[in-house]
Amino acid sequence: MPELKLFHGTRIVATPAALDTAVWPQDALALRLAPDEVFVTPAITADIVDDQHAIVAPDAGFAGAWIVPDEALEFLQRSCEWELPLERPAFAQGAVAGLPVKLWLEDDRVLFLVPAPYATDLEERMA
Amino acid sequence: MTNDKSLRLIVDGSLVEFFAGDNALVALLRAGLHPSQGGCLCLAGDCPHCLATVDGVSYVRTCQVAARPGMVIKRHPSDAPPPLPVGDCPGTDIIARHIYCDVVVIGMGESGRAAAAEAQRDGKDVITLDAAAGQEVIGIYPGPLVVARTRDGMADVHPHGEIVVATGAAEIHPVAPGNHLAGIVTARAATRLAVAGIDLGRVVAIGTPPEGIAVEQAAGELVRFDGVDRVEAVVMRNENGSERKIECDTVSIGLGLCPRDALLRMGNGLAVRAVGAAARTSDIPACPRAGTVCHCAGVTVDDLESVRARGFHELELVKRATLAGTGTCQGSVCLPYIRSFLADRGESLQPPFTARPVTRQLTVGEAAASSYHQATPRTALDGEHRRLGAQMERAGGWWRPWSYGDTVGEYWAVRKGVSIGDVSTLGKMLVSGPGALELLERLYPTKVATLKPGRSRYVLLLNERGYVLDDGLICRDDKTRFTLTFTSGGSSFAELWVRDWAESWRLDVRLLNQTMSLGAINVTGPLAHELLARAGVGDPPQYLHHRTATVTGILCRVFRLSFTGEVSYELHHSVADSVTLWRRLLRLGADLGIKPHGVEALLMLRLEKGHIVVGQDTDFDSTPRRINHEWAVKLDKPDFVGRQAILRTDKVPLDRQLAGLEMEGPAPAEGALIWKGSDYVGFVTSSVFSPVLGKAVMLGWLKLLEGELPAELTIVGRPARRVPTPFYDSEGSRARA
Repeated sequence: MPELKLFHGTRIVATPAALDTAVWPQDALALRLAPDEVFVTPAITADIVDDQHAIVAPDAGFAGAWIVPDEALEFLQRSCEWELPLERPAFAQGAVAGLPVKLWLEDDRVLFLVPAPYATDLEERMA
Repeated sequence: MTNDKSLRLIVDGSLVEFFAGDNALVALLRAGLHPSQGGCLCLAGDCPHCLATVDGVSYVRTCQVAARPGMVIKRHPSDAPPPLPVGDCPGTDIIARHIYCDVVVIGMGESGRAAAAEAQRDGKDVITLDAAAGQEVIGIYPGPLVVARTRDGMADVHPHGEIVVATGAAEIHPVAPGNHLAGIVTARAATRLAVAGIDLGRVVAIGTPPEGIAVEQAAGELVRFDGVDRVEAVVMRNENGSERKIECDTVSIGLGLCPRDALLRMGNGLAVRAVGAAARTSDIPACPRAGTVCHCAGVTVDDLESVRARGFHELELVKRATLAGTGTCQGSVCLPYIRSFLADRGESLQPPFTARPVTRQLTVGEAAASSYHQATPRTALDGEHRRLGAQMERAGGWWRPWSYGDTVGEYWAVRKGVSIGDVSTLGKMLVSGPGALELLERLYPTKVATLKPGRSRYVLLLNERGYVLDDGLICRDDKTRFTLTFTSGGSSFAELWVRDWAESWRLDVRLLNQTMSLGAINVTGPLAHELLARAGVGDPPQYLHHRTATVTGILCRVFRLSFTGEVSYELHHSVADSVTLWRRLLRLGADLGIKPHGVEALLMLRLEKGHIVVGQDTDFDSTPRRINHEWAVKLDKPDFVGRQAILRTDKVPLDRQLAGLEMEGPAPAEGALIWKGSDYVGFVTSSVFSPVLGKAVMLGWLKLLEGELPAELTIVGRPARRVPTPFYDSEGSRARA
């Protein structure tokens, strides 16, 4: 398993409507963590969301790694107690190996993200 | 079937040859050994009589495991449970795989295969679990979840649709005196043993005879089995009441069938159905007159009589009173007889008792398969602390440096020079939006509206009963934006608390928890100004102010406050910059004698200032008045969470209060009892020997005696005094310097 590294991005908390209508840069990955919260990586500028009270904060609080699907799914089969989405790409989040993990599943790779304070534990549990 | 002399296993330390295709039980019987010294054998995994310790794992059904060269079998003692495993236990690194499907079929006999085929024809995704193929289902749980033990570990099967139980039926065992002897087998077992080439000798059949074996049929009612260790004769009673003794080497038992429906009964309320023999009704044997009914728990017919005489007439209660049905076979042997017994005593034929997971013994490794202990988060500076030789401890829910090896030196660095500490674990939350001010006004007992941008204020967080939940800071960033801080251990709950109220009050706010995204380093000590100036902050914020600044080239929010009693600045920054900032500060302060301080030194410093630690110095019912924090509560505000409760409880005379205490000599242990004469009056919550004061200082709960807090006390047999707090720098001039 590759070493987890900090993912630099932007955390945005705004009205759900503002996040629904936001257009993210084409090269950015926007993960909707909650109806009112999104994590965009790499970092983006503040004016992308139509909400004057939005919190737009640079963030490096997640550590993660891209993993090939076979390796990822083998690990998830024994460490994830909830059913993964079948469609691709797909975002999913929940307890994996007892840790608060966020997954971005693509056809040819899977992104594992975990709050940085749990990075060492996830590395150990994926090893 | 061939006899290959190279096929040997070890039974109780002796080599035993076996044939290819033998299971462990057949191998034992082939050697003339009974795995558990006696009892009717079924060869179907239903009874507890072939249990043994196999390769270090106890309670293994030897009839269900293939014999392997080198297999080590230890027979269980006949009069005691097998010993607990010692040393390395096999199977402690077992994984559980999660499998999703539409339908799961348990058992792949004729009816199971038919059910699976039917579901597949309907386009269903079907998973089959067959004990004969090494996939033994041990439980069905809500979810639904079917847990099976397989040769590759545990399988957690999650069916979207139904669970089909096709596990067939078990043969009914005999209950009569002597049923503990060796040489008794069920009819199907007799056939299988004969096919395997086991010499059964002279066989007497009771009930349905075994197929393919010449037997002497024993007519009448079973009275007892005779023999010493092995059955030598069976005694039957004829219709005329006379008894007949039949000499034999083996007794074959064909008393009917009982469905193996434990999994069906376990899945009550779930989409579980039985098919084939598992769905049949149970044959009910004649009521037993004597003998052991439940071999797992050693329950006899006399025991059933005894509990019935004491009023236990319901099957479920008889189970609980006798423990029959709670053992290894989970009622597979005893259930038909207990039902028969109660029906014979005038009760209706009661349905089988509830079944619960697990149906089979599990090793610790199997039970713990793919489970994980709760992880303790680490700050971005975790590696730095360990590199500096810190003793790491779990504190406030995080791994934190307790001490770098010189706690007193760390303490003096704060009091006399400058020190840095990792306070990244503090809760940090941003609140923004037009409803932000109203949210915080209603949530906190302080006047938030008077807080100007750039200012901070210490706050208590109360619940509706006026009890202290947490404490921290409110920092106003601008008109509609605030930063909140919480204690390390309380931040998760505090976040939920804030979110719940914001949602309940339907306020237009945005909330972002940054606890794990931001690092925080506390720069503290009389030389903190000097260090910050070297780091590029020549005009740091005033006491209880905050602003953004570049510190050693790293963007930080600088909060001026003090938990240590000395000048302190908290530098909040991206966790990506924590290590760089930490190292640069240590380098810049090297000639100032800078040292990092751990949690132990921090707790000494804060106690000298009389600062509480919520959760250590407070109880679940600590009000601001009880902890001497009424100054932090503004009752002239229209409302806030806990206000009504405080108004109400303020009318009640104070019964106890957190107080400052001091004594000469070493500090007593936290939790030490406090005495007034011979009367217990409280206990110590925090305690430390103060290097700067040269005495022990403490916080502790004291009962009021006749409306007054006692002043002269005894703690651990030594005199102590109640004194005002803070113990150190009561004017607060050092923190504000």
